[in-house]
Amino acid sequence: MKAFAGLHPAVTMTYFVLLLTVCMFLPHPVLQGQALVCGALTCALLCRRGAARDVGFYLPLFLLVAVTNPLFSHNGVTPLFFLNGNPVTLEALLYGLSLAAMVVGVLLWCKAYNEVMTSDKFLYLFGAVTPKLSLVLSMALRFLPAYRRQARRVSRAQKAMGLYAGSSMVCRVKNRLRVLAAMVTWSLENAMETAASMKARGYGSGKRRTHFSLFRFRPADGAFFAALLLLAAAPLAAAAAGALNFTYYPRLSQLQTTPAAWVAYAAYGLFLLLPAMWEAKEALVWRCCKRKI
Amino acid sequence: MALLQTENLSFRYPGAEKAALQGVSLSIEAGSFTVVCGPSGCGKTTLLRLFKPELAPAGEQTGRILFAGEPAASARPGAIGFVQQNPDSQIVTDKVWHELAFGLENLGLPVETIRRRVGETASFFGIQGWFRQKTDELSGGQKQLLNLAAVLMMQPRLLILDEPTSQLDPIAAADFIAALQKINRELGLTVLLAEHRLEEVFPIADRVAVLQEGRLLLHEPPRAVAPKLLSISPDHPMLHALPSAVRVWRHLAAGGACPLTVREGRRFLEERYAGVALPPPPVEAPPAGACALDVKNVWFRYEKESPDVLRGLSLRVTRGEMLCLLGGNGAGKTTALQIMAGLDRPVRGKVLLHGRELKTYRGGALYRHNLALLPQNPQTVFVKDTLRADLNEMLAAMETPPAERAGRMEQMAKELGIAHLLAAHPYDLSGGEQQKAALAKVLLSDPTVLLLDEPTKGIDAFAKRGLSELLRALTRRGMTVVAVTHDVEFAAEAADRCAFLFDGEILSVEPPRNFFAENNFYTTAANRMARGLWKTAVTCEQVAACCRAAEERL
Repeated sequence: MKAFAGLHPAVTMTYFVLLLTVCMFLPHPVLQGQALVCGALTCALLCRRGAARDVGFYLPLFLLVAVTNPLFSHNGVTPLFFLNGNPVTLEALLYGLSLAAMVVGVLLWCKAYNEVMTSDKFLYLFGAVTPKLSLVLSMALRFLPAYRRQARRVSRAQKAMGLYAGSSMVCRVKNRLRVLAAMVTWSLENAMETAASMKARGYGSGKRRTHFSLFRFRPADGAFFAALLLLAAAPLAAAAAGALNFTYYPRLSQLQTTPAAWVAYAAYGLFLLLPAMWEAKEALVWRCCKRKI
Repeated sequence: MALLQTENLSFRYPGAEKAALQGVSLSIEAGSFTVVCGPSGCGKTTLLRLFKPELAPAGEQTGRILFAGEPAASARPGAIGFVQQNPDSQIVTDKVWHELAFGLENLGLPVETIRRRVGETASFFGIQGWFRQKTDELSGGQKQLLNLAAVLMMQPRLLILDEPTSQLDPIAAADFIAALQKINRELGLTVLLAEHRLEEVFPIADRVAVLQEGRLLLHEPPRAVAPKLLSISPDHPMLHALPSAVRVWRHLAAGGACPLTVREGRRFLEERYAGVALPPPPVEAPPAGACALDVKNVWFRYEKESPDVLRGLSLRVTRGEMLCLLGGNGAGKTTALQIMAGLDRPVRGKVLLHGRELKTYRGGALYRHNLALLPQNPQTVFVKDTLRADLNEMLAAMETPPAERAGRMEQMAKELGIAHLLAAHPYDLSGGEQQKAALAKVLLSDPTVLLLDEPTKGIDAFAKRGLSELLRALTRRGMTVVAVTHDVEFAAEAADRCAFLFDGEILSVEPPRNFFAENNFYTTAANRMARGLWKTAVTCEQVAACCRAAEERL
């Protein structure tokens, strides 16, 4: 997924915020189904390698959530069968399925978000709001792996001097604490040098800091942005107008088939497919280019 | 014109009895390349930091520092660039491009200007290949180059560097020095460099300033340094830190122009002694004795899928010898040492200590009076607030009776010359002192086999000689020492045998004279000068001895 991940962070961020908003606040079976299917597709495109492993996690989760609801909730008017004298109803079963679709759908899209919105993009967006905090976060991201590595070195050095001798719980906790104490000193020592390096390069010289980044807002970003706003507007407007109301209890309401509802379904479907379509477009362009060469 | 000038500069740290600097009057020409050297604690770092107002230490200062004719404190931010010793702790942000932009962000320049300068600087230094990487994933050499580039982004007029290569391996260090030379030659930037590894920087410097106990001893062109030092004292300690060519020249007391580089040294020797054949030196017998550490056909990799780091490594270390394990970056030296120390288990093969397999030593028995490892970074050895507490902890762990502890500690501290440092915080010691202190802590476990990882990293020539003598004394008492090192000069002087590790296996193990005589590239500077005449002369002293023997035959 190079093309989608290459879009301007503001665009991708808006996309995910809108998507997760709809996912979580519009519990409608059609929309949920679409989000689940397209989420799975996008995730499969984003991380091809791990896709098989993920099925093993998401499928049981889906089943677990779907089955739990009808077992514990006995609302609804259409009993399917009785379990230990309690009715298992069609409504509860369908509500369970809807809940499962929502949970797994949101998780899948969060995974996609994680894959696309790397720390530097997040920092960039954050920096536009509070430059100071963004610098602090960037420094933290730099510091943590260094800290982890040094802690490992210290504990190995201690071990090779015979100071990690005991293997009992108390011994291990004690040793952890010793390493931690050393690490505090190390961090402070390091921080002094980092501070010196920052000061030496004009930090805190009183000027207002600029916020530099490698991202540029290109025409393609504009096009994608416009498309995502338009497509997301349809289901939101339909929901606001009450065209997407759906209830499970006590009995299922009718699925809407008004023109407004159809427009909302179609627009939302396209909205969810935007990353995949963007990718397909790029692949097509690439192939054309190659043929010309 | 002098870009930087000090007039009678003195400085005293608060609470210190002695002044750190006394009456230093120094004048640095614009566009020059100046090297500042001197033993540890001579005031190099203090002097350099005083030049950079943002980093100037607090204390009592007299005398003036003028930068471009004005007081240095009034220079614009970034006019004086400063690169410190540790490549890691100077990096502020998590991405390479962000690190480059950091200084200009601080100055509040517009984004487009920053973008342009970042691009320009990255291409000048060849950073574009790793421009978008995380700073954490870079090698030490790349990190230090990034620090240099990030400082140059500010377009300084004077670049100050405080021992920038001390934490780098020799190849990365040479690359870094080459980058400095390029900046100086191509941009005309004034460079002021404090350094203790002088082999490479000495010949390219315009001026060399030698500090001693806070005083400026001399400030001369490099060729005049050795004669001046000789005239001050024929056995001046600074003479041992000079490049090999200079050291050979001064051993001969030959007069004439002092050679600086290997090429000049070679010509110097060949002009005088061409055709003088010497009897070959007595063959150094490989040490005999029982086997202390036996590495048998060890294979190792870090992850299941990752490539093998060690491929059938075999090595027998004789009891009471000092063995140096040499090799380039990524040859698997440190990995081999970690396996010998029992920190990693080999995938195949085994390691025997005194005839017993490492894994059969249980419950810490391996590290009690048997085997000890001194890691590359001595800081990782200390976990307490004072050196005394750290050493005490070790004695307690070794179950030394409390009544004997104080005596044992005093004895060890005296032996290593750190008795005056016991009350200090281990992090406050200098590189060489830290090394000794860490060694003291490790030696308190009374090991029979001592493993050292890059023991000469970051320590100066004097500390190196001290370490070399200390290790000799230890092996004479029967201790077995295995040191992994990049430092061929150190190996040539200190080792009984040298082993060459490449691509995960040992290619040769021999006494140093034979070992280096057979190498063409991977050998000491002294040997590279003399190998056309006397192949087995490896150290400066040996070359000088050969010269003296040749004089007699002429």
